[in-house]
Amino acid sequence: MIKAVETNGHASNAEHDGGHVARRVRVRILRQDVAGGESYWERFEVPHEPNMNVISVLQKVAAQAKSQDGRAVAPVAWDCSCLEEVCGSCTMLINGRTRMACSALVDKLLDESEEIELRPMSKFPVVRDLVVDRRRLFRSLERVQAWVPVDDSYDHGPGPRISPREQEDAYPLSTCISCGCCLEACPQFTKIEVVRRDGESEADFVKRRKAAFDAGFVGAHAISQSMLFNAHPTGGMIAGERLETLTGQGGIQVCGNAQNCVAVCPKSIPLTRSIARAGRAATVWAIKKLFDR
Amino acid sequence: MSDPAESFLARHQFLIYRLFSLSGLVPVGAFLVVHLLTNASILAGPGTFQSRVDLIHSIGERVLPIVEWAFIFLPMLFHATVGFVIIANGLPNVGSYPYVGNVRYTLQRATGMIAFVFIIGHVIHLHWMGKPLGGGQFDPHAASSSAAVAIQPALASALYAIGVLCAVFHFANGLWTLGITWGLWTSPAAMRRANAVSIVVGVALAAAGLGSLAGLQGLRGQKLDDARAIEANMHEDREARERLLHGGDRATSAVRPAVGAPVADSRGG
Repeated sequence: MIKAVETNGHASNAEHDGGHVARRVRVRILRQDVAGGESYWERFEVPHEPNMNVISVLQKVAAQAKSQDGRAVAPVAWDCSCLEEVCGSCTMLINGRTRMACSALVDKLLDESEEIELRPMSKFPVVRDLVVDRRRLFRSLERVQAWVPVDDSYDHGPGPRISPREQEDAYPLSTCISCGCCLEACPQFTKIEVVRRDGESEADFVKRRKAAFDAGFVGAHAISQSMLFNAHPTGGMIAGERLETLTGQGGIQVCGNAQNCVAVCPKSIPLTRSIARAGRAATVWAIKKLFDR
Repeated sequence: MSDPAESFLARHQFLIYRLFSLSGLVPVGAFLVVHLLTNASILAGPGTFQSRVDLIHSIGERVLPIVEWAFIFLPMLFHATVGFVIIANGLPNVGSYPYVGNVRYTLQRATGMIAFVFIIGHVIHLHWMGKPLGGGQFDPHAASSSAAVAIQPALASALYAIGVLCAVFHFANGLWTLGITWGLWTSPAAMRRANAVSIVVGVALAAAGLGSLAGLQGLRGQKLDDARAIEANMHEDREARERLLHGGDRATSAVRPAVGAPVADSRGG
């Protein structure tokens, strides 16, 4: 908020600057007023400041609430929180590629093109403007039970020891911020948008949406999290259940080995290593299942 | 979900996709390797190629179609059918993300589709099943000469070069992704090593495929006549051997030629 007030001040100064032309940042945003509505482009222009990121551009756009041609428009909506590439909420398509808006520096973007293009993620339903509904991303984590199942408050004593090597292996996987970049860039992960039917109850709608999500590809993030928790001594107690999901519909087999996930991951998580390990685990699991039943 | 066929595919998606992956290696990929290496034997001369073809046809004209359908055509149709389902469910985005892996993902699908169309055309063009459609130009008794005549037109050889290269890329790249799918190579370093091996396999097979096309191109004029003469001699020898082996009372061990002897060479060309 402090930043927004500051930028307001700068903006008004620039406007009253007389003949001097201050450097401006031009941005083109794909907007959408309501979920399921029509999308449309709108251009904005904001004063340039050193070290700006896309979020500070959006803050200025919201503050002026005026399009490039001077019309008063509703402020552009977007998601963000931590502003340090940790919360994973500000993912959007910046100049056509998925990335975190907070770590997208304006000066670097202006080296690529004269105008910055912002679009909402294309693999999730748009809620409004740049805000998307990433429910399916979290549903995927539920499907693979991406947690250590300790569901009580009893004292179980100290947990098993984890060797430094195992820790080193697991740590990068634990840095996932659920930003959804890997899903957005994945050619095998396609959008599932379930729209509530007329007269459908909330419960029926939620059930139908869940079924649709569960038939779709789980995605690289969930595969990697399964490998993280399967490698954990306590988390691995339900390794079989996770592999059951990974060998079910929308599981590991849907991966097409494009390896975009690992290329776009802002945390450089070795996602393709996790995917290959999941592939190996799935192979062993399927053979075991065949002969053990 | 109400559609039983859809729910069957959904329930067995993992098994089907893994069988799809396996079928690309065995038997379809293995057949591609054998096929291209057999064809490349044309570079050692029409007699060598003819003896390889004879070896394949020696399992009998009744058994051969069964082997073809069980180990080549049906697995290929299965691989292609599942492949088209996979392609239909994907959304290539190489324009936005032009990474090497993504280019290969896109090429894998493109080459698969081109190879599929090529193989249908190829079977109609050369396999005896294509005869009712004006094709079926390959004569197993005149292997080199019939193949040369069929493939020598510029358009045909261009299409064959494209088809062979697509099939080879699809196989070599598929070899690499298959290793990831099944979990053979999991670390980035192992993937790089496997990638190098796949490239070597691909280049070698492309050389074999293009080499055999070049070998057929070379069979013109006098060389084509020579090839026909060699094939005719080998055909006669085969017939003679058949008569000796199955002719009953007249067959004696003294005049029986050694099985598998390079017949063309014994005649001195």
